[in-house]
Amino acid sequence: MKILVIEDNVELLHDIRDFLEREGNVCEIANNYESAYMKVGIFPYDILVVDITLPDGNGLDIIRETKKENIDVGIIIISAKNALEDKIKGLEIGADDYLTKPFYLPELNARINALYRRKVYKGSKEILFNEIKIKPERYEVFIHDQPLSLTKKEFDILHFFVANKNRLLTKEAIAEHLWGDHIEMADSFKFIYTHLANLRKKIAGLGGNDYIKSIYRVGYKFTDRE
Amino acid sequence: MKLLTRTNRFYLIFILLLSPIMIAVDYYIIRYFVYTEVNDILKHESERIISYAESENALLPSSYIDNTLQVKETYQLAPSFRDTLIFDSHFNKLIPYRKFDFVVQVGDEKMKVTVKHILLEAKKLILWLFLSTVFILALMLVGLFLINQKISSWAWGPFYRNLSKLKKYDITQKNRVHLEASGISEFEALNQVISSLMNQVENDFQNLKEFNENISHEMQTPLAIIRNKMVLLLESQSLKEKEFQWVQAAYQEVNKLSKIGKSLTLISRIENQEFTRMDSIDLRATIDNIIGNMEEIVQFKKLEMTAKLDQVKVKCDPILANILFTNLIKNAIQHNREGGYIRMQLNEEKFEIENSGQVLNTGTAQLFHRFQKGNTATDSLGLGLAINQRICEIYGFKLDYTHQDGQHIFSLFFRNQAE
Repeated sequence: MKILVIEDNVELLHDIRDFLEREGNVCEIANNYESAYMKVGIFPYDILVVDITLPDGNGLDIIRETKKENIDVGIIIISAKNALEDKIKGLEIGADDYLTKPFYLPELNARINALYRRKVYKGSKEILFNEIKIKPERYEVFIHDQPLSLTKKEFDILHFFVANKNRLLTKEAIAEHLWGDHIEMADSFKFIYTHLANLRKKIAGLGGNDYIKSIYRVGYKFTDRE
Repeated sequence: MKLLTRTNRFYLIFILLLSPIMIAVDYYIIRYFVYTEVNDILKHESERIISYAESENALLPSSYIDNTLQVKETYQLAPSFRDTLIFDSHFNKLIPYRKFDFVVQVGDEKMKVTVKHILLEAKKLILWLFLSTVFILALMLVGLFLINQKISSWAWGPFYRNLSKLKKYDITQKNRVHLEASGISEFEALNQVISSLMNQVENDFQNLKEFNENISHEMQTPLAIIRNKMVLLLESQSLKEKEFQWVQAAYQEVNKLSKIGKSLTLISRIENQEFTRMDSIDLRATIDNIIGNMEEIVQFKKLEMTAKLDQVKVKCDPILANILFTNLIKNAIQHNREGGYIRMQLNEEKFEIENSGQVLNTGTAQLFHRFQKGNTATDSLGLGLAINQRICEIYGFKLDYTHQDGQHIFSLFFRNQAE
């Protein structure tokens, strides 16, 4: 998919671009209002990632402008302010999602994928990873076309993993994905560990491979590569 | 004690001390004038008698004459006054008189004549003086009191109104206090001082707030970058075991920092009253939702969770309500022991959450402070309760905490809030 990332901090911008390009996306960047405005006027994008506070303008104006031209574009706001008005206003004028800085890049990636699926395939697209098939809108998982029964959190973990395959997912990123922003729980890492063990067992029970590699003390990687 | 009461008290004391002095002074002054007057009358009468004797050679038939006495030619007498009491049979009492003795030549006879004039009765005089003085003073007192009362309502009125405005003043609210002008220079000076003080305090508060906001905002982007780079470092397989551990430790700390920043931002946003929605929140649904989100971790910790929730609606911001109850329930899970219990109860009056856990050493008040942790072993930042406290302050809720033998109870009282 084609993504435009608008963010005034060049370093963060490059981080995001590198991450998204490794996922096989075409990613363009703009670090100010003017160049962003120009780019959305010329090229059609599938997804816009917009920082609201730009040095020479307001990201909300870009969203308004884009929505005038291209109603189908998916828009994710990223903001350090976490201010409620921005969020409400952004969603009102057509943004689809809102992420507060600092976010985990896998989280942004998962949101972009989910949004893209919703926009382009109206949510009907299945996610395939070798023998694993996920139907996100119905919370269903199939291994070799056999249904896999998972708890809500197990499903979330697996979905998150598949959306960020071949990437290091730190325990913190997984915990935040599962429980959101304002929860910090000492037990959550143990919880993740136990649930991953269950998940492995369940997948193996249906003849699936174990793609979950644990990276010592840091997190996990979902990969079919060695 | 009110200023007015105090002034009135001093007036009263002053007048009580003053009245005997006034009575004494009055008495002596009046007595002096009475004596002078009587002396003059007697002297004048004596002169009349003398001149009459010289021209007529006879004694004037004056009603002032008390008695006459024939004296020898050689008798010498300096004219002199004296006081005396004369028994009046008619009134059956002694009556004070002033007497004047002098010598007069009537023809060939030399006579000592005594004239007398009634004096005022001292006792009566003092009594009347006392009564009239008291009467006048009482009038004065009442007058002063009324005037003071008038002054109080008129001159002190603005002062008291300003005072009640200042009592209501809350720096976290954005409403400014407009002090009423009184036209009295002392109060005006006070108002000026208070106004400039308030301005200064508000400026400082504003600066502090902005600083807080900025520091928690501005650090988020750099933190995000640091975090991304660290993940890249961790992903690159060129790190040695030891280096990997260092990066991993740094990564964890960066995450903590970012969480602190987010929590502080939330606190300052609550303090800035950015959450202004007053929806009618169905608390049972809110709590059920949170429990649902936590269900698996509750099972994981083998906690026995019971919830007795009534249908309760409270007016507040939905986001804050969610944060408040999430924090309470999260706390009960986090500070629980494995295989422990959580009991929740919601009714019109309060929400109560009770959980098993370790015995705490911190006091209740400290617990609500930023960065206070009940248990240093866990990684929790201790900001959750501080956030809850802020939320409660906004809506007038009251959050109570008690613990006993490893049983912890948080009670959230809604107070008049429930509809």
